[in-house]
This record gives sequence, structure tokens and C-alpha cells, in this order.
Amino acid sequence: MARELITGNGAAGYVLAQAGEANRSARGCCCGAYPITPQTEIIEYLRGFEFAKGRVVPVESEHSAMAVCIGASLGGARAFTASSANGLAYMAENVFAAGYFRLPIVMIAVNRTLGPPWNIWADQGDSLALRDAAWVQFYVESHQELVDTILMAFRIAEDSRVMLPVMVCMDGFIVSHTQMVVDLPEQQQVDAYLPTCSIPHRLNVDRPATVGGLAWPRETEHMRHEIQQAMERVPAVLEEARGEFEQVFGRRPHGVMSAEYVDEAETVVVASNTIARTVRNVIEQRRVGGEAIGLVSAKLFRPFPRDAIRAALHDKRRVAVLDRNHSPGSGGIFWQEIAATLQGCDVEVLQDYVVGLGGGDVTPDVVNRIIDDLVKRETSAEPVWEEVTA
Amino acid sequence: MIEITIHGRGGQGGVTLAKLIATAHFLKGQYAQAFGVYAAERSGAPLQAFVRIDSKEITIHNQVRTPDHLIVLDRTLISPGILVGHKPEGWILLNTSDDPLKFAEMFPGRCVASVDATSIAVEHKLGTRTVPIVNTTLLGAVGRMMDLSWQEVNDAIAVLKFGGANVSAARVAFESVQSMTLAGHAELNNPAVAANHVAGILDPDVGGPPKIRTGNWATRQPHRRRMQAPCSHACPAGNDVPGFVAAVSEGNHDEAMRILLETTPLPGVCGRVCPAPCMDACNRSEFDEPVQVRDLERFAAEKGQRPVPTMPSREERIAIVGSGPAGLSCAYQLGRLGYRVKVFDAGFEPGGLLRTGIPEYRLPHSVLDDEIDYIRQHGVEFEGEQFIDRERLLLLTREFDAIFVAAGLQQMRGLDLGSACGDAVIQGIDFLERAQEGSITCSGQRVVVVGGGNTAIDSARSALRLGAIRVTILYRRTHVEMPAIQEEIVDALEEGVELRELVLPKRAAPGKAGLTLTCSRMRLGDPDATGRRSPVPITGADAEFDIDCDLVILALGQSADLSILPEGAEVNKDAELLGLTGAPVILGGDLAKNEGTVAHAIGNGRRGALHIHRTLTGEDLFPPATEPIATREFIHTHLFDHASARHAPVVSPDRRRRSFVEVREGFAKSSSQAPAIQEAKRCFSCGMCTECDRCVEYCPEGILLHRHDGQYEFNYDYCKGCGVCASQCPRGVVYMTEL
Amino acid sequence: MSIALTTADQPCEHILRAGNTNCAGCGMSLGLQLLEQGLDGARPTLAIPACCGIVTAGAFPTSGYGVPVAATTFASSAAVATGLSTIAELNEETEPVICWAGDGGTYDIGLATLSAAAERNENIIYICYDNEIYGNTGGQRSSATPEGVRTTTTPKGKCEVKKDIMRIMTAHRIPYAATLSIAHREDFLQKIRTAAATRGFRFLLLLSPCPTGWKSEPDESVDLIEYAVRCGLFPLYEVFDGERYRVNVRPDGTPLEEYTSRQRRYTSADVDLGHLQSEILKQWRLLDGLCNAFPAEGKMAGRAPKRN
Repeated sequence: MARELITGNGAAGYVLAQAGEANRSARGCCCGAYPITPQTEIIEYLRGFEFAKGRVVPVESEHSAMAVCIGASLGGARAFTASSANGLAYMAENVFAAGYFRLPIVMIAVNRTLGPPWNIWADQGDSLALRDAAWVQFYVESHQELVDTILMAFRIAEDSRVMLPVMVCMDGFIVSHTQMVVDLPEQQQVDAYLPTCSIPHRLNVDRPATVGGLAWPRETEHMRHEIQQAMERVPAVLEEARGEFEQVFGRRPHGVMSAEYVDEAETVVVASNTIARTVRNVIEQRRVGGEAIGLVSAKLFRPFPRDAIRAALHDKRRVAVLDRNHSPGSGGIFWQEIAATLQGCDVEVLQDYVVGLGGGDVTPDVVNRIIDDLVKRETSAEPVWEEVTA
Repeated sequence: MIEITIHGRGGQGGVTLAKLIATAHFLKGQYAQAFGVYAAERSGAPLQAFVRIDSKEITIHNQVRTPDHLIVLDRTLISPGILVGHKPEGWILLNTSDDPLKFAEMFPGRCVASVDATSIAVEHKLGTRTVPIVNTTLLGAVGRMMDLSWQEVNDAIAVLKFGGANVSAARVAFESVQSMTLAGHAELNNPAVAANHVAGILDPDVGGPPKIRTGNWATRQPHRRRMQAPCSHACPAGNDVPGFVAAVSEGNHDEAMRILLETTPLPGVCGRVCPAPCMDACNRSEFDEPVQVRDLERFAAEKGQRPVPTMPSREERIAIVGSGPAGLSCAYQLGRLGYRVKVFDAGFEPGGLLRTGIPEYRLPHSVLDDEIDYIRQHGVEFEGEQFIDRERLLLLTREFDAIFVAAGLQQMRGLDLGSACGDAVIQGIDFLERAQEGSITCSGQRVVVVGGGNTAIDSARSALRLGAIRVTILYRRTHVEMPAIQEEIVDALEEGVELRELVLPKRAAPGKAGLTLTCSRMRLGDPDATGRRSPVPITGADAEFDIDCDLVILALGQSADLSILPEGAEVNKDAELLGLTGAPVILGGDLAKNEGTVAHAIGNGRRGALHIHRTLTGEDLFPPATEPIATREFIHTHLFDHASARHAPVVSPDRRRRSFVEVREGFAKSSSQAPAIQEAKRCFSCGMCTECDRCVEYCPEGILLHRHDGQYEFNYDYCKGCGVCASQCPRGVVYMTEL
Repeated sequence: MSIALTTADQPCEHILRAGNTNCAGCGMSLGLQLLEQGLDGARPTLAIPACCGIVTAGAFPTSGYGVPVAATTFASSAAVATGLSTIAELNEETEPVICWAGDGGTYDIGLATLSAAAERNENIIYICYDNEIYGNTGGQRSSATPEGVRTTTTPKGKCEVKKDIMRIMTAHRIPYAATLSIAHREDFLQKIRTAAATRGFRFLLLLSPCPTGWKSEPDESVDLIEYAVRCGLFPLYEVFDGERYRVNVRPDGTPLEEYTSRQRRYTSADVDLGHLQSEILKQWRLLDGLCNAFPAEGKMAGRAPKRN
């Protein structure tokens, strides 16, 4: 284990390469690579890495980047890539294809505002727009969580009970371009942690199936239902992955989420990515002042961990959801999910706060204002646009 | 509400028919709904369309499960299965040329209507030949069934912007549809419930073969046939020409010989002297050049080993009068059948005209002897110097079980040139015989030959070889009309024989030295009974001219000497003499039918033998009724490469004109078999499968199997009836039938 | 004659299985049969984008193909094939990875992907079965549709000329590019063998009759292509490394009408055959010029791909 001062992109590229290399005794690895800010350094790192059995293909578009991953994965290899914002949007057709194909591809989504306007800074709207693409989605709050979650992502994706692609999402620039101190794994640790990749429906002449061809409504619905069942198995598989992670690496990453101080709290704030870290800092300060405020750092978005969320929030008086994302005509996307999850519970106030869109800096002051607003509320209202209404 | 289900095939216009029906009712102020089952339908795949009609708004969006009425666009889709869900009180409209009564068993108790929409659509040129579009046509019939007026049908067609042919086709159907309620009791068949197992994308057992029986899409099916090649059809001897040529092309000379010996004992003879009508009929003629069948027959005869002959195994004895080609052929075939055969001939040796009438430079005696020897090996006996007259013939009818009379043509046609000619005028047949004997010479003579047949050419060329200083053929038509083999004419001219066309000798008188022959000039008039233009004398000052000569050879043809027959004898259609009390007597060869070639005689002799066999045993060994003939339109010539013919070597005119050495040397003369094999490979094998396997290679579905036992197998479960196999069969073997 | 290839007592596992859903007389079906014959027993993996060729397979879980197939998104076959061939190469597997794509996925929506895979010299055989329309959606124009013909989106006949995809592909200097005729079997098979023996990106263009879209008789599919080649409309040629040319079959003076008169997409439109004929002559001037200036001679090994 090496402790390094490294950017999020540097760490992600490093771990992806290790994961790919860990499949060298099986069918190898492949990455379809196409640059886009703020993800570019990841694929630059991968292009420079000397794989024992792997190839990073410099393609002409994100659409083809994912297509190469699909081909490699159908060929039985470990496949991964990274993208952001409009790259993800352009890739979208094949993102769905990868999910519906049930291919265990891992993709790093460095969250960036979908343009126009032209904006390169953090916003979860790009990856959340792909929430229905049959991908497992993790939103990570730190560099270390990023590294650890990427490793777990391969285990979960390639687990025969799941067999779905996994997207690991981090804030653009705030994580991707920011140097932090991170514990990076050694190759032999990764080799020990990741079993070689085995894809049951990979193409081979003994099973001349047409993967992805025509299916009637009955078969199609059946396939979708199988994806739902696979999604439902993710939390349990994630718990196993955490347990073994701790055995190999000596630390325990977050699971579906991190619920902190919630048991004794009347008021809980839900946030994801680095905003959750800011919220944690604010809550910890306010707890010193005697306020019983809890935190849910949301991490697994697909499948949405309804049981864990309900267990943490069902009896709270007030819940705030901070969304650095927005579904026009509705509101924050995490809020929508939580609202649906808490149907029939006794939560008096479930308030959404849309914050930091387009990469706005969500400072402790912003978080404090939100908590001040929340605790005054007796009923829920429409989502509050914090920066606009402030 | 009225609900209708339409069963059709992709491309036939079923969905459009649904729209037409709906439109007709919408125009009447009713609510209507029309839709198809949208899937991965392809041209020809069975699919359904639906119509609902009601007086109030329609709110159902499911497929029709219990239709009032059924419409079937394709007669191959008419099956009891379509009755599922059909309400017994509704009607079924079928596109078929069959009468509704035909479906009494399939649809008992139902009201069934029929209309031949396909024929109507094809007549009105709607759609393609393979997929006629029948929707507008059927609307006419539907309109009648639904009590629409013709105007209402017409309006619906107009709204969907269909043109004139559609309207008139619909009108025909409107008028011609007929319906009736069939006897019996109709019951409602409830729709079945779908199967349970559903596969997932990760399942290990996916990827099996499709379950769609695409054979159900077909409206046509391929089959194979053997057609008769035009060469075989044209061969008077009845030889299997492409069969033996194919064997030569494979270097299998013994097989080629065996095939030839089925129909002829004289392939070596025919390979030299046959005018080869097969080559005139050859489908390659128009493509480039005919296959050189005659040379190939000779090659097969020279290279192939004959099978072991069969010996007599029957008690019946057959007499044959005449040992020319007809008698030889008949004797051979009877010998092969096991009969005891005796051949009588006036000549010393067997062979008839083959021996006496054809010069050795065309047919060496050794070739004839060899083939006659093979006939003898079947137990056939010859008795020479036996002149059979009327009395002798009657005696034979008591000694033998059957008699075949092929005495040939013994009467020669003459020409009255006046009385003062003496020995200077001679019949060609006699001349040739004396030439064979070596009892005549033409040394230093000027010879005139009159006639245009093979005897004329043979006489002219023989005269040259016997030392004539000038040989002139006089013919009253032109060389185009000459019945002689064209190559022989060319050979004669090459050797220096002079041909004077449109000339008819009138009279001869002694000249200063030899004779002066006075001739008329002719022109071609109208065609005569044989189709040849007849010669007409020119009148006027220049109408006659003289030729000086020493010898005139008349080669004007022969006719039968019927004195052998009982007086007043009649023959039936099988050339059998009527009114005799003894064994049956069959007339054959030129005596019966003056057809004039060796090949005709061979065919005639074989048929005579088969006739005798049938008469004696009742067994019919005649070949089955003629197969269809693979004429040029059956042959896909664009699938062949052009290749000019290979010719067997010929002795040069300088070397041959003064000698009786054989002119044509044949392919076998060459040290290599390659030219013969290459020539044989030019054969299209019209109408006969050569196992080229193009049909297999070009089957788009891969469902045509060529088994190791040589059989071909179409898998009709999957054949879509596209017809590519038939279109790619170079030789017309694979063909399509309508289902 | 090739008895060994075609004689069998049991049906073999074809690349295109019986029971596939293609129309009767489909040129693509014929192309797949000839592809199989040219591959001499090799079992390819196919990447097929949205096109008739993927509907061919019929409904899951059965398959109209006897070899594994990846059904890719419309524009992605060359990229998915890149992934498949990459993994095959890494695992030293030699069975070919073949893209089997229509003209829509090749000339139009997939062109960028195709170009990129060609530029990277991926180890793929890319075969475009070009039926000159969007056949799968019922016969709309594509950039491969010839000038003049009628489609459902060019009801008055297409105004623009057909895109010359061979020139685009040879401009990538790929090791091997060739045109394929279903009517010239030996030539077809030879080109498949050449392609199979070459490493790197290989592009093969197959003019594929569509009886449904061309409004032609199914049993004339092969003959139509015969005429297309003979009249010079569809030249049969090969290009090595994008710079050495060889013409395989020359026009023999067959009139263009032999081809056009058998298709209602031509006859129902107001097509100027004289103009099309002059375009054919132009095409041959160009091709002959290239052949003369840059003839393909001797052994033609294509430029092998380098990887980093």
C-alpha cells in the first residue's frame, strides 16, 4: 500500500489499470478511450500504461468508446472507460446497450455540467440522466472512496448474481483535478481482491447466440425483470465486497450509504459526492452546539437503496435533500427517489434544495443557511433553489 | 361492433386492405379502426391485420381475438387453424380459384366466400409476378360481402389514391365473388394460451436454430427433372448424346462406349459418316459453335472398350433380310435380348451400302468389320449371297418366329440423256461399288457427277482418287440445298472438285473425244414439299451450254424395290405386313421409310427389334414417352463461357486427293486426349444434371442438400420459393412449380 | 465443381441458418452463403448493426445465425468489432471478426466509426451488403441510393449521385479493399480468401439485390448482379494498401437496360439512362487510370497493423 498525493483522475486511472492488469491471466482487458474535460487525464494515464494483456483503443468518439468496451466485454474481457457530460450524452445509446446487454463494464463518470451553456464544472445531471440505463451507479464523496469503490465496482459488476455495468461518479475538478493524500493499492493486493472476469454470455462459437437481437414483448419484459432482480441483489453483493475489501486492504469503504448521527437526530441532511463532506463538517460543528442533526451520505443511487434509506429516515421529523442536479419540471433527482421511498412514513418535512448547479461552490455557509431554513419549516414545499432565492 | 381479421403475407397489402375496409365504412359515417401486427415481417412471412367497425367510438386497442369475419389473402394460408376465435355466424372470404364447396370439410357450417383475387390482380398487373398485390381487388369482394354499394367501394379506393387498374380489378372481384353457407355444424374454437418458459439473456441454452418454418412463406417450390437434350431428340438413332459426351469429358471412354452401345452397334461408323443432326440442334450453335458430337462419338468408339456381349438365351429365331445399318441394328438389339438371329444378304459380306456405297477414305472397312464382328459376338449369324425374293420370304415366315426386312433401296433413279452414251453413263452406286472392288479407273478422264447427295460427293471424290483429271458436280439447286453433309462438300471442293450450281443435264451426245453434255441453266423458284426451293429452267438465249466429258455418274437417289412383297401387300402403322399366316414380317430401314441416313436406319432397326420383342413376349421396352425437350429457352447460356470448338485433325487436300487414305483422322489420332476432353466439356448437358452444384452453392437459404449418394434434397420446410436455384441451374434441370 | 464443399448427408451448421427471416431471394442471404464458402470452414464472429441483417436472426432466444453475433447499435459495428477483435488478438484466437452491415450503417450513420476503425487498421473484415436503401425501415433513400431511382423518401427519384464508398475506404490506405458480386462466385470466394489471409482492416463491398425494395423478381437476384457487372455499373476490383489497383472483370458491352429494366425502382422513375451510362464511363476512366498508374502486381501483402 502506497500513500500518495494524487488527483482524483490520477487515482482513478491508476486503479483502473490495476484492475485491468488483474485480469491478465484470463482474457485480458480493454478500454475504449476518448478524451473530454474533466476526465481526460484518466484515459491519458491508461494510454500510457503498459498492459501485460490489454489494449486501450483511441477511438473517435465516446459512442465508439463504449462500443469498444461492449465488444471487448462480449469477447470475455474486463472492460472500462471514463467520460463526462456531453461525452456521456453522446455515448448514451451505447450506455443503455451495455446495461441491457448485461456486460460488467466499469465506467468512471467525472460529473460535469451538460451543455449548453458551455460549462466544465461539477454537476451530477450528466450521469443521473443515465440512471435508467441498467447501470449500477455509485456517487463517491472523496478520493479514497473513489479508489475503493472502483475496486469494488469490478467485483460487483462481474459477480454472477449481478452481471451489470457499474458507473462510479465523482465531482469534476473538486475530486478529478484536486490533489489529495490517498492510499493506493499494490498490484498483488488488487490481484488478490479481484477474481478474474468471467462473462457467461460472452460470444463463442459453441453458443451461436445473437446477443441483442430481436425479442418479443414477453422475452423483453422477462429480460427487464431479470435486470431488476440483479439490481436488487446489489446491496448484498456490495456488503460481501466490503467485507473482503477490509480483509485485503484493512479498511472498510462505505456501503450503500453512510448514515451518521441519525439515530438520535430529529433532522437529517441527505447529500452526495463532496457536498456530503461539507455537510458532515457543518453538522459536526452544529452538534457541538447541541443540535441533533444527522447525515446521510448517499452513495449507491442505482439500485436505489430504499430499505437503508427508509430505515435511516422513516421516523425523522425533518429531512433535507441537497441535489447538485435537477430534472426540469420536477426537482432534484435524489429528492424524487427519497420522496418515493418515504411514502407512508411519518416524516413531516421532506425538503429539496437545489444547490451548486454548474459547479457552484457549495460552502459551509450555504449548508448552514439550508439547515437554518429547514429547521424552521413545518411542512414541505417545492424544491428550493438555494443560490437563486438566497 | 364488427371485428375482422385478415391473414396475409408480407408484401401482399393486408394492412392496406384493412385501411380500405375501414375507410369505406368511415365514409359512411361509422367509426372504424384498422391496424396491422408490426413485427419483423418480411416479404412472404404470414402476418395479420385487423379491422373494427362500430356505430360509436371504438376504445379497444387490443388485437382482434374473436373476429366476426376472416379474410385470407393467400390460398396457401387457408387452414383449419385460422378458425381459432372465429364467430360461427360470421363469414370467411378466401382468395382462391376454388369453389366455396371445396372447403366443406375444412369449414363446416360456416359461410364461406371465394374470389380468385390473385388471377385478377395478375391480369391487372398489380404487384410482381411472385408477389401480386391483392388488396384493392379483395376490397371489391369484401364490399359485396358487407353489403357496400360499388360506389362506396370505389370511393374508398379513391381516398387511398389507388389508380385505374385497382378500380377495375376491384370491380371484377365485386362482381365475381360467390358465397354459401356450408353444411355441418360450426363451433367456436377458443384461442390457446401461450407457452410458459421464457429465456433470459444470460441463459446458457440460447442460440438454437429458428423455429420459423419459412417453407410456409413459399408460393412456389423448386423441383428437379431430366429433360431430353435437343441433340438426343434430333438423333435418329436415339443416342444419349449428352450422356456419352459427359463420359468423354470425364475421360471415361468405356462408359461413353457403353452408353452409345445401348442404342447403336455402329458408333465407329456414325462417328465418321453421320450428317449429325444433333449438331444442328445443339444449343451451343447460336452461342458460339455446336459441340463436335460426331468427332466425339468416333473418339469414344476408338478409345472405349466394349462390354462382354450377351449370348442367345431364347428359343425364338429371327430372320433379317438385308445387312445394311437397319438390319445390323435390328440384329444387334435382338441379339442383346437373347434371340437367335440370322441375317441374309445378297452381298458376299455383311454391311450393305456401308461397305459398297461409302468410300474407304470416309469409312475404312476395318472399322465396319470390327463393329459387325461385335454384333456377331452376340450369336448373330450371317448368310451371304442370299437373294430373298417374294417366295423365299414366305418360306422364311414358316422357318422363323419373326422376319425383319431391311433390303434397302435397290431401284436407282435415272436420267434420260439420250441413247448414244453407252458405258460413259453409270449409276453412282454402281460406280462406288466398282471403285471399292478396284474394277474401274478414271485415269485421264473428265468426269461429270450429277446430283447433290452424299453419293454424288462420294462419287466425285472417288473419281478424283481414281485418276480423273477433272471432276465436275452438276446440281440443279445451290450448295445450300444440297442434302450431302456440308463438311464433305467443303472437303470435296478443297480437293479440287468443281461444283456447278443451278445446272441440269438435258442430253448427251458423242463429241470429238468422249461425250458432249448439254445442260440447262436453272433458277430457284418456290419451295417444294420438302421446303427446299425448286429449280426452274431459265429460258432465253443463254439457257443452255455444253460440257465435254468422258464419264457421267448419275447420283440422283434410289427408291425401294417392292417386288419382294406379296402382291397387294398392306402394312400397318408399325410397318408390319398384314394378311400373312406365318411369322410376323416387319419392314425396316429405307425400304420402309426412305430417311436416307445411317443414323435413321439404326434407329429404325432398333425400333423394329423392340417391336418384334413386344410382339413375341408382350414386354414393352420402348423408351418412356418423350421427356420435355431442353430447347434454348431452358438453358441459361449467360452462365457459360464462350469457347470455340476443337476439331479433330484432317489430312491436307494435297495429301489425300490421290489416295483412299482416311481423310478425317479423329481425336484419337492425337497423342493427347486433351482436345477431345476439352471439346466434350463444351457440352451444355442441356436438361441433364451434371452435379455442377450451382443450385446448392446459390441456395440463399442453404437448404438444398447434395447427398453423397448423388441425390439432391430440397428442405421444403424452409424453402421460401425464391427460385434462385432454378434461375442459376445452367441447364434447365431445376424448375419451379406454383403451390 | 466443388463437391467437397457442397456434398453432405446432413445439413451443416451454416453461418446463415434455415428459418432466418430474410425475404426470398435476398442478396444478403446469398452473400452470407458465399461468405461461408469462401471462409473454408472458419467460424467467424459477427458484429451486425441495426439493419435487415440483424432482423435476419429472428426472435430471441433462437438465432438465424449459426455463429455468434453481437447485435450492435446502428453506428457501432466497427467499434464493437474492434473490441471483439482486440480480445481475440490478445488471446491469440484466429477466427475472423466480421462486421456485416447494410449501407445505412456503413455509408451514413456508421461512417465515422468505420473510418476510425479503418484508420486504426483494426483486425476486422468489414462487409457492407449494399442494397442501396434503408431496407429495414421499408425502403428509404440512403447516400448509397443511385441517382434517379425511386424510394419512399425520393418519390420523384433521387437527385444526388451515389456516394463512392470504395474511394473513401481506399483513402484510408487499408490493407485490402474489394468489391464482391454474388454472380461471380469464384471471384467472390477468392476475395474472401484474400481478405481472410490478410491482417488489418479489410473492406468488402457487396452489391446486394433487395427484391422488396428494388421491386424485382426474387429469382432474378443473381442475374441482376451479373448484368450490373457486365454493363460496368458495378466494377469488380481490388485495392491493396489503398494504392495498388486490380480490375477483376471488365464490362462486356451488356446494355444498362438489362439491369434497370428488371427493377421497378428504376422503371417507375424518370431515369435518364444516357446520363447514367456517361457516369459509368467516367467511373471506368478513373478506375483504369488508377490501375494503369498504380497496378497491383505480384504478391499482395497488405500493411499489417501496428499496436501500442
